[in-house]
Amino acid sequence: MLSIAEIWQWLFDVTNWEGRYGLVNLFFEHMTLSFSAILIAALIAVPIGVAIGHLGKGEAVVVAISSISRAIPTMGLLFALVMFMGIEFRGFAVTLALVIIAIPPILAGSYAGIKAIPQTISQAAKAQGMTAQQLIWHVELPLSAASIIGGVRIAYIQVVSTVVLAPLIGLGGLGFGIIQGLALRDFAQVTSSALIIVFITILGDRLIGFAQKLTAVKLAAVEIDR
Amino acid sequence: MEWALKNLELIFDLTMTHLWVSLVPLVIGSVIAIFLARIVPRRFAGSVNGTLGALYAIPSLALFVALPALIGTNYVGPINVVIALSLYVVASMFFSARDAFSQVPAPAIFIARAQGMSPWQRIIHVELPLAIPGLIAGLRVAAASTVSMASIGAVVGVRNLGYLFLDGFQRKIADEIVTGLFAIFVIAIVLDAGLWFLSKVLTPWSKKSVQHA
Repeated sequence: MLSIAEIWQWLFDVTNWEGRYGLVNLFFEHMTLSFSAILIAALIAVPIGVAIGHLGKGEAVVVAISSISRAIPTMGLLFALVMFMGIEFRGFAVTLALVIIAIPPILAGSYAGIKAIPQTISQAAKAQGMTAQQLIWHVELPLSAASIIGGVRIAYIQVVSTVVLAPLIGLGGLGFGIIQGLALRDFAQVTSSALIIVFITILGDRLIGFAQKLTAVKLAAVEIDR
Repeated sequence: MEWALKNLELIFDLTMTHLWVSLVPLVIGSVIAIFLARIVPRRFAGSVNGTLGALYAIPSLALFVALPALIGTNYVGPINVVIALSLYVVASMFFSARDAFSQVPAPAIFIARAQGMSPWQRIIHVELPLAIPGLIAGLRVAAASTVSMASIGAVVGVRNLGYLFLDGFQRKIADEIVTGLFAIFVIAIVLDAGLWFLSKVLTPWSKKSVQHA
């Protein structure tokens, strides 16, 4: 069994932090891959989810997409896209795979957020003479922000879990230490890399959770009025 | 297609391993999740949920290889994968299982108590059956993600359908990867349909149930 001292030694070895496959570089690669994909997915999925929730049409599509997407193995999707698009475009293929993975939860979160707004609120806004655009920007989006961020949180979990596999197709990211360590049977490297990934992922999850709490709007007063 | 026909035996073997590596965690995980959901008192539910949420966020490959250092198992092989997947099932089911138990109508519980049932009898004969639709709904969500997540176990040497991804990628056989995707998708759908059916069989009263106010 691996001792804590061995992990410590690996983590405090400066050579493991520097260079092309040093932790610093891998960390930034990891983050760039994850966040660019989530950003692109959000730009696509939030407007569509909000539109579906607002119009009340196409709900079945959202439900179908989010349940089908759970059954698709991300590793297979990643490998298939890289293979079909060619290994030289793997950077693009990975981003595409991650965007495909991130869209369903964000779409579901946006749709559910709009859907959960009590009818009385949107009716009151309409009665005050708000246009559809005003209704979306000033009522529906603020009230569903927490749900949208909740969708982003699930997307983040799925995306990061796939980014860890990027080294398998010759890219970097923090999963590199796991893949290389397994191949070289350097278990200090494997475990240290895994622990770093665990730490960073949970930290990110908590940060998004915090943003979710900040944007949550309590509708208790409204419930009492009804 | 041609590749799949030539390798039916391999695909069958891998499918069996895949089913095994997915079903065992689903059984272990759902039993633990249901037990925890019923047993954890309300004031601790938030912190248990928070811990499980953090656990759920951990990328599967990282958890597979972190376990040996934590509990002393071997790095390669199915044990870490089974343990990790069970943990994910617990994490994903805990919240919905609590929800399922809270949906049990209060009168049913009062009546059971009035009839002199012990707490355990009440849980097993009254609460559990009435919570089944919610519990299985949660299990269906967990089942789909477990079946697809199990494929990552191939990276740590579990020969399941995920092996088709690794092997197909290395040998540049696109058909092999597509076969793996398709097979996992089919397993997920069959499992989902099976659980839906199980839910119907276990709650024969649901179709003729009277709406209570």
